[in-house]
Amino acid sequence: MTGQESLRQKILDRGLCTACGMCVNLCPYLGAYRDRVAALHPCGLADGACWHVCPRSGLDPKQMDLSVFGRLREDHALGCFSAIYFSRAVSKAPGAQYGGTATALAALALEAGLVPAVAVTGGDALAPKPVLAVTREEVLAGAGSKFTAVPTLAAVNRGQKQGLTGLGLVGRPCQVAAARKMAETTVPGYESTVPPVALYLGLFCFFAFAPEFYGFLSCEAKAEWVVRSDIPPEELVVVTAAGEQRWPLAELKPLVRPGCHHCFDSTAEWADLSVGSTEYDPDWNTLVVRTVLGEKLLALALERGVLEIRPYPPERLPLLRRAALGKKQRVLAGDRELSGLALDFEYEAAVLRQQGGASGDGNGTGR
Amino acid sequence: MTVMAQAGKKVALTGNEAIARGAMEAGVSYVASYPGSPTAEIPGVLALAAAACGHYVEWSVNEKVAMEGAAAASFAGLRSLVVMKADGLNVALDFAGALALSGCRGGLVVLVGDDPAAHSSIREEDTRTICKAVHLPVLEPSSVAEARDMTREAFSLSEFLALPVVVRCVTRVCHASGDVTLGAIPPVERRPVFGREDRVITFSARLHALLEQKMARAAEHFAASLFNAYSGPGQSDTLIIASGPAVFYAREARELLEQEDRVGILKLGTTWPLPASLLLAHLRGVKRVIFAEEVEPFIEDGVMALAAAEGLLHLSFYGKRSGHVAGSFGPGAGELDVDILKEALAGALGLPYSRPVVAAVAQSLGQEMPVREFALCAGCPHRASFWAVKAALELDGRGGVVIGDIGCYTLGMAGTGYHLLQTVHSMGSGVGIAGGLSQLRRFGFDRPVICVLGDSTFYHAALPALVNARFHRSNFLCILLDNETTAMTGHQPHPGRLTTAMGEAGDTVLPEELIRGMGLPCSVADPYDVEKTAVLVCDEMRLPGPRVLLLRRACALVAVKGREKDTVSVDPEKCLGDACGCARFCSRVFGCPANIWDETAGRARIDEAVCSGCGVCAALCPRQAIVVKRREGVGT
Ligand SMILES: Cc1cc2nc3c(=O)[nH]c(=O)nc-3n(C[C@H](O)[C@H](O)[C@H](O)COP(=O)(O)OP(=O)(O)OC[C@H]3O[C@@H](n4cnc5c(N)ncnc54)[C@H](O)[C@@H]3O)c2cc1C
Repeated sequence: MTGQESLRQKILDRGLCTACGMCVNLCPYLGAYRDRVAALHPCGLADGACWHVCPRSGLDPKQMDLSVFGRLREDHALGCFSAIYFSRAVSKAPGAQYGGTATALAALALEAGLVPAVAVTGGDALAPKPVLAVTREEVLAGAGSKFTAVPTLAAVNRGQKQGLTGLGLVGRPCQVAAARKMAETTVPGYESTVPPVALYLGLFCFFAFAPEFYGFLSCEAKAEWVVRSDIPPEELVVVTAAGEQRWPLAELKPLVRPGCHHCFDSTAEWADLSVGSTEYDPDWNTLVVRTVLGEKLLALALERGVLEIRPYPPERLPLLRRAALGKKQRVLAGDRELSGLALDFEYEAAVLRQQGGASGDGNGTGR
Repeated sequence: MTVMAQAGKKVALTGNEAIARGAMEAGVSYVASYPGSPTAEIPGVLALAAAACGHYVEWSVNEKVAMEGAAAASFAGLRSLVVMKADGLNVALDFAGALALSGCRGGLVVLVGDDPAAHSSIREEDTRTICKAVHLPVLEPSSVAEARDMTREAFSLSEFLALPVVVRCVTRVCHASGDVTLGAIPPVERRPVFGREDRVITFSARLHALLEQKMARAAEHFAASLFNAYSGPGQSDTLIIASGPAVFYAREARELLEQEDRVGILKLGTTWPLPASLLLAHLRGVKRVIFAEEVEPFIEDGVMALAAAEGLLHLSFYGKRSGHVAGSFGPGAGELDVDILKEALAGALGLPYSRPVVAAVAQSLGQEMPVREFALCAGCPHRASFWAVKAALELDGRGGVVIGDIGCYTLGMAGTGYHLLQTVHSMGSGVGIAGGLSQLRRFGFDRPVICVLGDSTFYHAALPALVNARFHRSNFLCILLDNETTAMTGHQPHPGRLTTAMGEAGDTVLPEELIRGMGLPCSVADPYDVEKTAVLVCDEMRLPGPRVLLLRRACALVAVKGREKDTVSVDPEKCLGDACGCARFCSRVFGCPANIWDETAGRARIDEAVCSGCGVCAALCPRQAIVVKRREGVGT
């Protein structure tokens, strides 16, 4: 079975859904409310796009590499990339998480006419929501990380309904993977000449919080409105009208979305450009350039004075690689079936062999 | 209006029209009702005639209030009529019991529609058993003409006994057509008199004794009533005692079995109190008695008790108790028909008889009858509401339960409402049940609770339960499906409407005013916006306390009346047919009767004849293949 029933049994009912939103609004049988994707009614079909586009249903990294890059990766930690920098927006959007790179690139792509709209994640930390931004203002309003899983891709499907294709996406790694799968799908009725997403701006992401996090924010942090939240190494910072509060990350482990424990990709390996933190300088981002399109957008950003970049400090690369590999190795050590990965033995061995993986490295995030 | 034709004319009327005519011929002044099948048309007919005749008609919020109003008119000496269905009498019963004790002055007729086989009711209650309990006399017409006669006479009888009189009319009589020779309609001349010295008090055991005396008087009166009639040979050994339409089934059964010479039929039109002396006169000469009555063995039990008391031990009884008079659901359930009575009569007389097997008949016609499923109308806003609630329950994911109520939306228990409703009982009961369930949280019940009810039901009986819920801090979401009318019974007005039954301007009472007045949060949305409604239901389910979500959209049947509809069509280029991942969502799952599947084209199609133009299916189609052309020419 490769349809809605499998999605329900193997993903949704097991709590493995990452709320990427790719299956939401594809058909009348799947919907999402806040962070929860649910089957509304059994469609009865044995085969369905919902299953095939799910980032947790048989993701094959080799095949993904081949279809996105036309080649296999050399680096199992970070995937295929052509360059890595520190970057920041020359004029940073209000509320941007670090250097504002993601927002600046999304706004640029929109303004330069590369994409007709960009799917971003708007709202605030307590009530985030998918937004299909068609104006620069709407892109800017989406700035800032919301650390829960928001079905942003539902906005892409909504755009499709309105006839908008070839969109931009700012998304978590699972969302980038799902949208890539969608572009490649051969399920009748869902094949596309113009893919739904044409520009993939990926975010680094080691986990998202489960919906219980909202309860935590409103009870523990007594927040009605979260100005900003951040997860610098090993702690959570929440800024509300009342001021700044901090919690050790270890305390919040139970609030991590269960599906995230089985995720293999922390750096959006199939994005055109991946954006993350630098781990030490909150005014800058880590920027990984992966595809030709990514290179072009970066060049345009530099040419137009939208972004500034500086070399990635070589001494930090092992840290980033170790974090990314560590996550993969933890997934391989866990319940393999739950990861939904389609790996051959060789690939798996290669990941485990890679240098830099750290077992005792805690969460090992490089935010 | 035929019902208003001149006296002396013979016209074809429905049973309900005949009843209305009978009331007018009796000079009725005050008519009140809450609509219920099978008697819902009666007040409507009277309302149309109100201007010409001078009587007053109101659609009251419920049967109890209706009966109270009618009683007031009676106390003041006017003739009054209160109309309801059997279930309605239960609502009014507390007052009816008290009213029987106090008695009345002006003729007060309680017209109750019984619905054997529960064609459009949740149960087939036999009103006679209730009337026996509260001591009210009952007349039971068997034909359309008799419905007029009995209604007219019931007013005089009521005045003679100083007691309300119940006319029990079943669906088959209410909805039948028959010839009636019209009598004169007198002008409404009585003037109300109710002074400081008048007393209508119920608080005394002595009154019960008085009531028993009145009933004895009624029994005596009934023994000579022309509504009871014997037909058959002077000497017979077998007697059928029949009431209501079963009188005709009995006659036909007797004729078909060629037993006219042997079997007598005693038609009883006055079924409570039983006319003992008349019955005994007929029982003495026969050996066997067969009972033909719907629904309960009411006359049967009374006659058997009477026979026992009189020592008539030679009699054999054939009825529901003996199992001889029984339809396919067994004795005491469902309607009677000629076949049932033929079988009973043949059984009693030892004649050979075998009932025709329906399946065999169907087979001889070449095919099985298709099963006709319940269906909400095309464009019904309830369908949109139900899909939104269904979606919301899945999206919420905490296993919320849905409590139902009485109205068109009761169909939410069936496929057409996605089998959402888990309980269905009586008007307004859903709110009380939801309140009770939500109190079970203290014992560990942790599911969200939703109840759905309609606007008319809301006014009828939901308000006390909502007050109760607020006071006790219950925790549920009450979804008020406001289609701005009492749709199920034929769009009678309720307090949310602009005009009354008489077409006068009412002082409209909006549900949200009442709800907010009770201090309950109330949000309002349009169910046709299914997606937004689903999100709103999810939002509301997460908030504490009893709260109301008002989903307002006019009944599709009212909305399209006399207006040009928006046209909805399927773009065959965009509809992918079975290649779409929707698996024929519109015609197969959403299930609006206007969404059909074109087998030859392999595409969805709109049945324009039934489509109301609501466009809900267009919003749900994943391919935008359903196109709505607004009358203004604005496409969506
Ligand atoms: C759940 C989550 C976990 C993350 N974990 C890490 C980590 O472990 N290590 C690390 O280096 N970086 C992590 N990031 C990325 C980091 O928080 C920043 O988003 C990223 O560095 C871009 O920074 P910026 O200054 O360019 O952001 P901005 O310019 O403010 O842009 C942020 C963009 O992210 C989008 N966004 C916000 N919330 C979400 C969401 N929940 N899902 C999808 N898109 C969203 C916004 O719409 C906006 O477009 C995480 C992000 C998220 C959303």
